[in-house]
Formats: sequence, structure tokens, C-alpha cells
Amino acid sequence: MNKIRFSFALICIVCALTLSALTHAQEIKVSVEIPQIKANPYHKPYVAIWVETKRRKGVHTLAFWKEQPDWFKDLRQWWRKIGRDKTPNYDAVTGATRKPGTYQLTWDGQLNSGENVPAGQYVLHIEAVREQGSREYIRQIITLGDNQTQTYQLQGKTELGSVQISIK
Amino acid sequence: MSIISKLTKSSGLIALALAVQVQAHERFMVPSHTLLSGDKAQAVTVTASISNAIFHPDRPFGDSNTGANVGDLKDLFNMLEHQVIKPNGEVTTDTRWQAFARLSVADVWFKESGTYRIGLVQPEVNMTTFKKIDGTFSRRFGKNPKLPEGVTDVVRRTTSSRIETFISFNAPNLGAVKPTGVGVELGGDTHPNDLFAGETANFQLFYQGKPITQPAKIKVIKAGTRHRNERNEQQLAVAKDGTFNFTPDSAGFYFLAAETMEKVAQPADVDVKHFSLYLTLEVFPE
Repeated sequence: MNKIRFSFALICIVCALTLSALTHAQEIKVSVEIPQIKANPYHKPYVAIWVETKRRKGVHTLAFWKEQPDWFKDLRQWWRKIGRDKTPNYDAVTGATRKPGTYQLTWDGQLNSGENVPAGQYVLHIEAVREQGSREYIRQIITLGDNQTQTYQLQGKTELGSVQISIK
Repeated sequence: MSIISKLTKSSGLIALALAVQVQAHERFMVPSHTLLSGDKAQAVTVTASISNAIFHPDRPFGDSNTGANVGDLKDLFNMLEHQVIKPNGEVTTDTRWQAFARLSVADVWFKESGTYRIGLVQPEVNMTTFKKIDGTFSRRFGKNPKLPEGVTDVVRRTTSSRIETFISFNAPNLGAVKPTGVGVELGGDTHPNDLFAGETANFQLFYQGKPITQPAKIKVIKAGTRHRNERNEQQLAVAKDGTFNFTPDSAGFYFLAAETMEKVAQPADVDVKHFSLYLTLEVFPE
């Protein structure tokens, strides 16, 4: 029994070492537009931008713009995958809701643990929901930690405008 | 006070008045039925709520002092008139509403055949809106509230509203549809209990009992916003005589909100009066 546990632990250490060897410092830039919407009353949207594995496990939140906790759940996908259990914790990236405009976010690929995100394919998620408005949810498959330069141009239809993702 | 009189004289007042939100949240009723038939008396159970998720409740609306502790909503509830307008046009106010944590409930009984109008009517409430030094708008309730230092664009307002739905027991009639003469009300050629998907309903908006002549805004939202991403709010154009058309594309409950305002001749203790109607309409399949 002890032997099995030991070898399992050993494998994990080997895994971790291998992964960190494969990854390197990188720059993930996301530019997100919150469109101007004619509405009265207009409430600024709640927005979450985060990365998940392709098997839908929360990896890292890049931004969470919010007001009252009562409405966090309306960012339905972010809430179920990261928000409600705080897995992983997102305290460092929370902020107040933003008025219409274009916002730039940068992530260096570092996880809360201090480790770099293991190389591989991930899904970047962007979700926005506005009180007395609509909800929008867009996704993009990205490759991280692979020394692969990528750019993606996405376009929201309702609560999100133009989205640019650049990875190097 | 000089700010107020200056503003009242300026033509920008109407624009400003419309730019500021007066009602923070939607409010509505949901009847268990809107059409009934039978030869014995029947009841309909109606719920009412303040909520932005159309027909999904969030906070209660209405109480006869028998319900849950509603905290800061109590003053508002004490103000509401619990109307049921009978098929002969008689207005009754003895319906008992009970608040629960997330909605209010009332039973309404029907003996005589015809159309009934169920309403929660909120009389005029005073409110002052103003622009703070930081440029954001804010509001205070009550008459002559104490305002923060240095505010501008002060407008003294009242808001009043009708939250209503129509229910017909056997053959519909028009006794309860006829305007009572208070606030914004629905009339027109189409009976509100005779709505079918794909058919155009011809309605008319009334203000203080007469076809509305001043500008009014009407929006319609289909039930179930919680379960779809697009709110799909539809604005309906109102003609100069208050008539408007509504063609629902599918069956279900619809929320219709109409609002208008009136500038008050000065000197007076109010600058602008706002009137709203929040109506629940049921549309049946073709």
C-alpha cells in the first residue's frame, strides 16, 4: 500500500517537472468591447472572462466585473464552473462593472499556484449579462504554452462587441 | 429652488425627465387562468411580483398585512389599492393579497359571467431626481427631501402605476375594460382576452380616461426571459390618437409596459408626473 502511494506521488512530481519544463513565460492578451446600448434604464453588464480545459474544468479567471453577489449566478457558465466554488479563486481579478468601451486584459499564463499553465489546448470563455438586458456567451479554443503565436477575432451580437485574442 | 424654476422654463426638461429612470424594476401579475367557462362560481389565483425576469418572481408585490415580513416594501404595499373591476364596471377594493418571500398571492372569485380586471394600483409617490457632483444621477423619495450639497438638474416628480390583468368568465364583455379615468389604461377594438398567435390586436392607450394624446412609450416582452439569452424587448409605435397594434408571433404570456408623463404648470410642488401601466396579456395558439 505504502509503496503504491509512494510511486503515485513520484509520478506526480515527474509530471509536474515535465510540464513546467515544457512551459515558458507567455502573454495572453484579450481585448473586449462592451457595446453602447440604448436602453433606459441601462445597467452596466456583469462580465466574466476565463479559461477552462477542453473538458470544462475551470483553470483561471482573467476578469470578473460585478456589483452585488445576488446576481453573480446570472453569469451562468462562469458561475457553475468557477464562481460558486471559487475554484480556482478569482479574488485578484474582480472589479466593478465597466461602462461601454474597449478593455484590454493581459495574463502571463501563471496560475494561482504560481505555476505556469501546462501546455495544451484550452477554451477561453467570455460571458456578459445585463440587468433588464440580454446575456451573451462566446468561446474560443486556444493553445497555451506551446510557443505558438495566435490571434483570434470574434464578434458578439448583443452584450459583447468586438473581441480580440492574441497569444505569444 | 432657482435651479428648478430655470429647468422648468427650459425646453430641455422633457428630455431630461425621460433620460432619468423613474422605475427601477418591472412589476407584474400572473393569473392562473385568463379564460374560464362554467355554470358555477370559479376562482383564479393570481401572483404578483417585482422582478426583471419576466413572470419569474423576485420580490413580492402587494399585501394585506397578513403576509411575510417585507421590510422596506411595507410602505409601498400599504399604499396599493387592491382593485377588482367587475363585468358591470363596479370597482371593488376588498381583494386580500398575501406576501410571501418572493411573490404575493390573491384568490379572486367570479360569479357573474363577463370580463374582470384585476389590479394593484399605486397612487402618486413623490420622488426627486438630481445630478450629483460626480455627474451621476440619483433620487430621493418623499416630498421636499434633503438633497446632498452641490447637486444640479433637480426635478421633482411623482410616479404612479397600474399593475393589471384581464380575466373572462364565460363570454367576455367590456364593462371592466372601459377606462376608470385614473392613469394609463388599455382599451381599443380588440378585447384583451381575445388574443391569438399571428393575429393583429388593435389597442388604444387611454390617459385619465381619454385617448392619450401626449407621447407614450410601449414595450412588450414575452414570458420566460430567464430561459433565453435575448431579452427580445419590442417597442410598439403609438399613433397620435393612442392607437397601437400588437401581433404576437407565438402563444404565451406577454408583459406590456406603457408609460407617459405630464409636465406640471408652475408654480407647483411637482415638475413632472409619470404614469405607468404594467399589463399581463395571454395569447393562445392559432
